[in-house]
Amino acid sequence: MDKHEKITRRRFLKMAAAGAALGVAGRPSFSFAKEEYDLAVISGEPVAATKKALEVFGGISRFVKKGIRVVLKPNMSFARTPDVGTTTHPLVVATVAEACIRAGARQVLILDYTLHRAELCLERTGIREACRNISGVYVQAVQERKFFKEIPIPQGKVLDRVEVIKEVLDCDVLINLPVAKSHSATGVSLGIKGLMGLIWDRESFHSRVNINHALSDLATVIKPQLTILDATRALTTGGPGGPGKVIKTDLIIAGTDPVAVDSYGVSIAPWYGQNFKGRQVEHLLFAHQRGMGKIDTDQLKIYKGTL
Amino acid sequence: MRTIVQALSLLLFSLLFFLATYKLPDWLLADIYLRLDPLLGLNAIFAAREVIGRSLWGLVTIGATLLIGRFFCGYICPMGISIDFLNHLFFRKKKYKILKTETSLRKAKYLLLIVFVMAAITGLSLAFLMDPIALLTRFYTFFIYPLAITLINLLLDLIRPLSKALGWITLTHLHYFQPVFYMSAITLLIFGGIIALNLLAPRFWCRYLCPLGAMLSLISPLGIFKRRVSEECNECKKCQKNCPMGAILDDPRKTHLQECFQCRTCVHVCPQNAITFPASLSIGGEYSKIDLSRRGFIYSLAGGLGVGFLATHTPFTRLQGKHHLIRAPGAIPETEFLRTCIRCGECMKSCLTNTLQPCLWESGFSGLWTPKMDLRLAPCDQNCNVCGKVCPTQAIRSVSLEEKNHAKVGTAILLKEKCLVWAQNKICLICDEICPYNAIVFRPVEGYGRPFVIASKCNGCGFCEQRCPVLGDSAIVVVPDGEIRLKEGSYVVEAKKLQLEFKADPGDDKFILEGSGFKLDGDTGEKKKVKY
Repeated sequence: MDKHEKITRRRFLKMAAAGAALGVAGRPSFSFAKEEYDLAVISGEPVAATKKALEVFGGISRFVKKGIRVVLKPNMSFARTPDVGTTTHPLVVATVAEACIRAGARQVLILDYTLHRAELCLERTGIREACRNISGVYVQAVQERKFFKEIPIPQGKVLDRVEVIKEVLDCDVLINLPVAKSHSATGVSLGIKGLMGLIWDRESFHSRVNINHALSDLATVIKPQLTILDATRALTTGGPGGPGKVIKTDLIIAGTDPVAVDSYGVSIAPWYGQNFKGRQVEHLLFAHQRGMGKIDTDQLKIYKGTL
Repeated sequence: MRTIVQALSLLLFSLLFFLATYKLPDWLLADIYLRLDPLLGLNAIFAAREVIGRSLWGLVTIGATLLIGRFFCGYICPMGISIDFLNHLFFRKKKYKILKTETSLRKAKYLLLIVFVMAAITGLSLAFLMDPIALLTRFYTFFIYPLAITLINLLLDLIRPLSKALGWITLTHLHYFQPVFYMSAITLLIFGGIIALNLLAPRFWCRYLCPLGAMLSLISPLGIFKRRVSEECNECKKCQKNCPMGAILDDPRKTHLQECFQCRTCVHVCPQNAITFPASLSIGGEYSKIDLSRRGFIYSLAGGLGVGFLATHTPFTRLQGKHHLIRAPGAIPETEFLRTCIRCGECMKSCLTNTLQPCLWESGFSGLWTPKMDLRLAPCDQNCNVCGKVCPTQAIRSVSLEEKNHAKVGTAILLKEKCLVWAQNKICLICDEICPYNAIVFRPVEGYGRPFVIASKCNGCGFCEQRCPVLGDSAIVVVPDGEIRLKEGSYVVEAKKLQLEFKADPGDDKFILEGSGFKLDGDTGEKKKVKY
């Protein structure tokens, strides 16, 4: 495990260097609105913290109007139980799903293109069980190309098109519900990395193109209206598949700015035994540089609460 | 009446077949038809030279046959039922003539039975070639099952626009995993051939070829129920013409007791109502003797021994210790495995990921249709242990998940000349990302973190081999080195002895939300119902 940590640290340092070099270009904008927070960071148990985070943003009804169709994108890619830290906590998912239904959503689809066999993922992650009795909520794992549709990426740097789950393109609101975990290729896997669970061809991200550029390309076309990061625990080593070291962080981090949420998420725990900032994560830096969000957490307006 | 029993039996066989998959409950004996087959049991026990618990179920069938007669073929055997139903479908109007070679053909099944038993005695499992239950299970696995899934998915695709319009979300997204197998075509041809033989005589297979039928017919004259023809008989021979087994002699009052499977067709067609099947304790009868010529008997004895010798003395035999195939986790040591496996295909059917595939010639004739893992095609999932559960002879042992994950099937080796990271300095970590055991680590070499396999943490599950993005053969492949194949005893203990550590995380099977240390706010964790 020691050796594992060392190399990953090295990779992080490299990212840091790249970050420092390129960071000059980043021009963080400031929020002047008094009542508007960039982020809600709530410490507490998953259900209560999630509810409070929604409250900070004026309730889910700010995003979810009556009669609309919502897609929630948790990470349920691995057939592992929540304690392993590879998948979004089922209670976070269920709480958001229930809030959407209460706000009048016609339908809430919980979707992911799972890496492990779909049936096993639905069963093991506990997400299907948690949402079983909420009517109007459907937990679906897709693994077939016929459920995807190709769209262009007009601003793509390394990708010019991508196949995305159709339902995501058709829905009214997309809410990203990532889990906080380390990732052997991208440092951390938070909200933006989690978007890879909505596209068909993931292999090429690893073999054909630079994954960090590809992720920022992807973030230009898949734009969740809200990101709620499940940092109730963080898989700080061995991600994304585990097993690894799980730190109990007891946090829910929510925001409309996907870069800001992720950037804050980077700061909550030592990854592979070392502390990092958002800027040190290459794909976040790229996304920030391309104007997709704020990366410097000290310049964010954050509501912090403890329950 | 018989048709109903037959339909129910085929339905039960099909149902158990389709249920043989993840997550098969422990109490459900999905392999019960295979267990009840005394020929498969005898074959496995002789070939393996060992008493196999599950194979003793065959005694139930033997006992019932001793008691009642050869009813199994007429009422229970799903192969016989398939033949009957397909015969009705395709050859209903066919007029049959009695075959000229009838008398000698009748002997064929006994001679085949002798061949199979002799082969088993030499240590060659061969009965699978013609045992009806193994044959049909194979046909179901390699043909019916993939076809059924295709048809279901086709139907789902057809109604998908409708499901979508009606808001049936689950149906809109429903898609069943399509299994594929290497030997589907061969298996179909064999089954098709058996059905086509009905052109020559009804139930040609059962009359002349089936070795299980032969085995049961040996004891069937001891059964209680026997055909009796009263004085009313006017020798119209209607019964003789209609008997599906050709069990009624020229003198219609007399019956081949071995051949009669008590379908009672003769009772129903007799215009004189002269036929009954009373219980009778008289044993046998003058037509219950089996007349095998001495020559035929000797030939088949020699044939069985010869086949056994040929198949068990090949370079493949000597290479068994250096075999290159990855077997299922829990498979007993290779030599014993080949002797015990009855090639029913049930493990391949039940395999959650479809990694288990039939062998053609990879381990010679004696390995025909045995299961191997094709890890480029699919990995072995650490949440699943169904293959052992459904194995009727325990050539793959039924073990707990914990034990199964310690039953190492091989070790991954990295081919540096193909690996994207080693050969091309690309950033690729898929093998590391997907490995459930943290058996792949990155170490800095020449300025790049490069993957290494920690052999003591790898149990050969093959996730890395399957996911490797290199085209063609994977840059990381599982080889059988280091596999743990135990005939008995604990894999966990053995793995510890070998200082192996598989920290898989199948997670807690009993995981429930309330038990996760998190509580729903304020309430007791009861399920919530929301109306809108």
